[in-house]
Amino acid sequence: MLPPFRLARPKTLDEALDAIGEDQVPYCGGTELLLAMGAGLHRPDVLVDVKRLPELAGIRLDGNDLVIGATERHDRVAEHPLVREHVPMLAAVERAVGNARVRNQGSIGGNLCFAEPKSDVGTALIAFQAVATLVSPGGRRALSVEEFIAGPYYSAKEPDELLVDVRIPLGGPEVRAEYVKYQIMERPTLGVAIAHEPETGACRVVVGAVGEVPAVWTFAAPDEIDADTIASEVDPTPDLTGSERYKRHVTGVYVRRAVDALMSRGS
Amino acid sequence: MTEFSTVGTSVRRRDLVEKVTGSAEYTVDVTMPGMLHAKVVRSDRAHARILSIDATEALAAPDVVAVVTAADLEPLFPRFGHIIADHFILAPDKVRYFGEPVAIVLAETLGAASDAMRLVRVEYEDLPSVMTAAAALAEGAPLVHEQAYDATGDDSFKSLTGKKHTMEFPEAEGARTNVAHEVDLEWGDVDAARAGAHLVVESTVHYPMLYAYGMEPYNAVASYVDGALSVVSSAQHPYMVRDDLARIFDLPLSRVRVSTPYIGGGYGSKSYTKVEPLASVASWMVGRPVKLVLSVEEAIYTTRVDTADIHVRSSFDAEGHILAREIDIVMDSGAYADNSPLVLAKCVNRSFGPYRVPNLRVRGRSLYTNTAPASSYRGFGAPQGNFAAETNLDQAAEQLGLDGAEIRRRNLVRHGEAILPGKRGIDADLLADLEIAASSLERDRKDTPYYGMGVSCSASDAGAYPISTAQVRIQFDGSVIVFSGSTEMGQGSQSLLSQVAAEELGVDLGVVSVVQSDTSVTPYERTTGASRTSTLVGLALQRACADARTRIRDMAAEIWSCTPDEVIDLPGAVQGPEGAKLAYGEVVRKWFGGTAGEVTGIGLLRREGVTQEMPPFWETGMVGVAVEVDPETGVVTVDQLVTVADIGFAINPQAVEGQDLGAATQGLGGALYEELVYDGPQLANANMVDYRVPRVTDMPRKIDLVLAERRDGIGPYGAKGAGEGQLNPIGGAVAAAVARAVGRWPNRLPLTPERVWRLLNDLEDSDPPA
Amino acid sequence: MAEPRTEFAISVEVNGTTVERTVESRSLLIDFLRSDLALTGTKVSCELQVCGVCTVLVDGRPVSSCTYLTVDADGRSVTTVESLSSGGKLHPLQEAFVDCHALQCGFCTPGFLMMAKGLLDANPGAEREEIVEHLEGNICRCTGYRPIVEAVESVARQQRAEAK
Repeated sequence: MLPPFRLARPKTLDEALDAIGEDQVPYCGGTELLLAMGAGLHRPDVLVDVKRLPELAGIRLDGNDLVIGATERHDRVAEHPLVREHVPMLAAVERAVGNARVRNQGSIGGNLCFAEPKSDVGTALIAFQAVATLVSPGGRRALSVEEFIAGPYYSAKEPDELLVDVRIPLGGPEVRAEYVKYQIMERPTLGVAIAHEPETGACRVVVGAVGEVPAVWTFAAPDEIDADTIASEVDPTPDLTGSERYKRHVTGVYVRRAVDALMSRGS
Repeated sequence: MTEFSTVGTSVRRRDLVEKVTGSAEYTVDVTMPGMLHAKVVRSDRAHARILSIDATEALAAPDVVAVVTAADLEPLFPRFGHIIADHFILAPDKVRYFGEPVAIVLAETLGAASDAMRLVRVEYEDLPSVMTAAAALAEGAPLVHEQAYDATGDDSFKSLTGKKHTMEFPEAEGARTNVAHEVDLEWGDVDAARAGAHLVVESTVHYPMLYAYGMEPYNAVASYVDGALSVVSSAQHPYMVRDDLARIFDLPLSRVRVSTPYIGGGYGSKSYTKVEPLASVASWMVGRPVKLVLSVEEAIYTTRVDTADIHVRSSFDAEGHILAREIDIVMDSGAYADNSPLVLAKCVNRSFGPYRVPNLRVRGRSLYTNTAPASSYRGFGAPQGNFAAETNLDQAAEQLGLDGAEIRRRNLVRHGEAILPGKRGIDADLLADLEIAASSLERDRKDTPYYGMGVSCSASDAGAYPISTAQVRIQFDGSVIVFSGSTEMGQGSQSLLSQVAAEELGVDLGVVSVVQSDTSVTPYERTTGASRTSTLVGLALQRACADARTRIRDMAAEIWSCTPDEVIDLPGAVQGPEGAKLAYGEVVRKWFGGTAGEVTGIGLLRREGVTQEMPPFWETGMVGVAVEVDPETGVVTVDQLVTVADIGFAINPQAVEGQDLGAATQGLGGALYEELVYDGPQLANANMVDYRVPRVTDMPRKIDLVLAERRDGIGPYGAKGAGEGQLNPIGGAVAAAVARAVGRWPNRLPLTPERVWRLLNDLEDSDPPA
Repeated sequence: MAEPRTEFAISVEVNGTTVERTVESRSLLIDFLRSDLALTGTKVSCELQVCGVCTVLVDGRPVSSCTYLTVDADGRSVTTVESLSSGGKLHPLQEAFVDCHALQCGFCTPGFLMMAKGLLDANPGAEREEIVEHLEGNICRCTGYRPIVEAVESVARQQRAEAK
């Protein structure tokens, strides 16, 4: 049984921005928020349902950006032709989030705002150097997803701000990407994303879920990716799926597996 | 199987049809007119004195009717427990575990109860706590219970094997300990045998704290009106619950009615009393019906599985024959005894295995700790003890240069041989079962690195105490209603009993219906557990059918004016002199003289005749497991699962296979994934996100479920029970398979990836703190 | 319209019938179905979206009704296990579950059935691998899963045969 709360269902962005605040929180799919409320961890006065805001919906190309509205559900992202065409790795990641019901209820924006450390989506988006668009009564600002995920269960969004969308830049050199995850319980223990630019050789390796926030490494070429260095530099959170030592070890294993997957696909 | 018309075939189960349509009723679906909703205020610390409870704010909240605390239970007997009545309905002066009920909030709506629950203020003074069995055993350990309690266990409990059962606390101050129960079992001269042994193998293992996760959490609806109590509950054993409730309210048994609709998963964890006293005392307080449904988290804190630390020392001759076994079992049974004394006794009996053990010494201790109460779980102590001793046997095999099957071949008892002195001999052909399991594994062995196989077996003194009753009522149209006190929790008792009745009376299965588990309606049934229903209720039902047929013959003799012995049985009918025939319905109608009447047959079963010797039957387990290990991560994938059920006769083969795969899968859960972990005073994973149970993606690549039907049980048609057997030996089989895959022997379950990785790399169980 | 409120008048199509009710903002779809509409076929267990027991279809897609606000079903269609059989005739999935012994205690079954229906409606003739992947988020404690997969597979096979 949820604690009592009031619900607002604004139809415009202005109404929504009026309604949100410290104790008036945005609500979309509820897959994280309602669970936290049910467990008594969170007791907002008002839930501001953002599902009716057109600005927060839709998946489209805008110039050189692939734009994914914050309220788009995981399964929509996974199935969308633009996502599958331009960033197939993200489509694959979204297809494996939680379970079929979570994918049908939860939104990409909710996932990012909640900043649950054991998540795949943020890790994948950081690999693509995705940017979050935030809006407040004071205006808009753009923040890299890497900066947006500020800490465990803590995003850089201010209480008076709404996450509008995430933008994946497509204008640069072609990117080939891989994502592998190590999951032995309900949530991932480790996710490794690699984005590789074949033209320049540049590789961006993002390791998520293992620590409090995803961490990023860059290398000049795939064969320079140093799994041991990454394993020694991650900051694992020990839990029921593994100790710090074990998680460090499997980080090395999965970085190597991600590189292997990238190379075998490339050939 | 032309010999039978109905039994021995996988008939369509009518209970399953009700369940797929959503029309099947479970306790959670039951409401009573005018009922209130209850929420329980629970302790948020492990061990603390209660200084005060302030319900003022809660009582002032909208729609709140009452807040019940231990002080209100003054006129009642405020405890329950079918072996030791130590379990307080509501914590009186102190709380003994995190999650213990302290108060009950009653309100007109669930929302109001839920909101007001947060407004009850409880003031505590912390006491030092004991969170593990080792801490509870330590010199000068804080006591979980300072006082002695009444022993409520009856003869059935006292007649358990073991030379010593300690249930009373020593009276002298200072002599009290946290030992809730002790069981010893000994024969031969263990020390002499060990002294002359070729090989002595010692090992110590830890069996994890598990949660059965019956998916319907514990719940009940109770109504106390004018000195009579009526409870609908998710209890596996409604009669045992009735007895506890009658004691609490000092009511005659006839004034306490407990009924159980379909149960959403039991696996032993819904044995005995759980939330029924809470709902009942609440209803007694306010004079209105009360519904209480726990959350999964509350259910975990209500009953979990006994953990065990077990030391095994086995002595062998040069050929690998067992000379002696010494086993020391320490169980962490949590804050209240519940059924743990019985689990301990069974763990002792089931620990040394179905082998020729000429010299034996087993010591078992069940300890009170400041953790959630432990009680029955599928297998009753067998999974714990069996894992320890089977792992030890496999280690011996390795040292003797034998494989796992061979050392068992050399030690298994033969059909009819006793493993417990004075008890029924083993009524199974374990050697034959072993060959089936071993050859199935071998046939599909994969030739890859980090691949390992294990076979393991167990024998459980099953069936519980043989007290059972059944009734059949033949209607005036010849149709039949079976009455049984046993519960239907998915195992298929309803369908099985209808098959037995149809077979015995020679009627079509379509005219038989079954009414179950209502203490004021159905005949007495002690429990539904220990895999007893097909054997014991089956026997009682056969007797009830025979009794009904006798009555029908007597009535037909009256109708035909002949002697009863001139009347012979036909399927669904009788035949008299000169070929006269009457169907059952015609007999009833003619005898009563109208389109009316019915004939009741009664079947009674007690400890005599075929059920004199204990146990009524042995439930054996024989499993084979093959695993593949990812050497980089330690992840174990189950490649093969083989089960051989020595069930005598399968009344519904599909149902038996279902029980076997279900039991084995639960076994795999406990062996590979499941473990409740305490972090300070509370569990770190009292939820289904962090307590990981087997999923569809964990299914073994190959599953081979074998039914060994040799008609050698005492039950109907030679049947024996099923349902636990294939869980019990899984832990040992998995441990052996993993050990052979990675080259080192595990000393605990579950074999999580990290533990297996540590085994592979010869690392300690955990790292020292940084 | 944007004013926060605790009560909402909603109109939901439940198993083909339009239902109009006023519900609390905190009302969960599972409680609405079970308590307000007495559709008790759908059960609830983990309350964390991991067990799948409370699965119902909203606009044809599976959701965890224990974590779904009733107000969000406003204007949508909700399908529960009670809708599967009609006129005493079982749905092919129900038949297959009974035939394959794909349930024992049956508490998880309504959830599995609705998950399977969601899959086979959207993707008729789904292959075994897709079925296993789709059912990964549902827990059954009785059967060991194999009979459940076999039951769904048998219906998918029928669908493939009929499509030819």
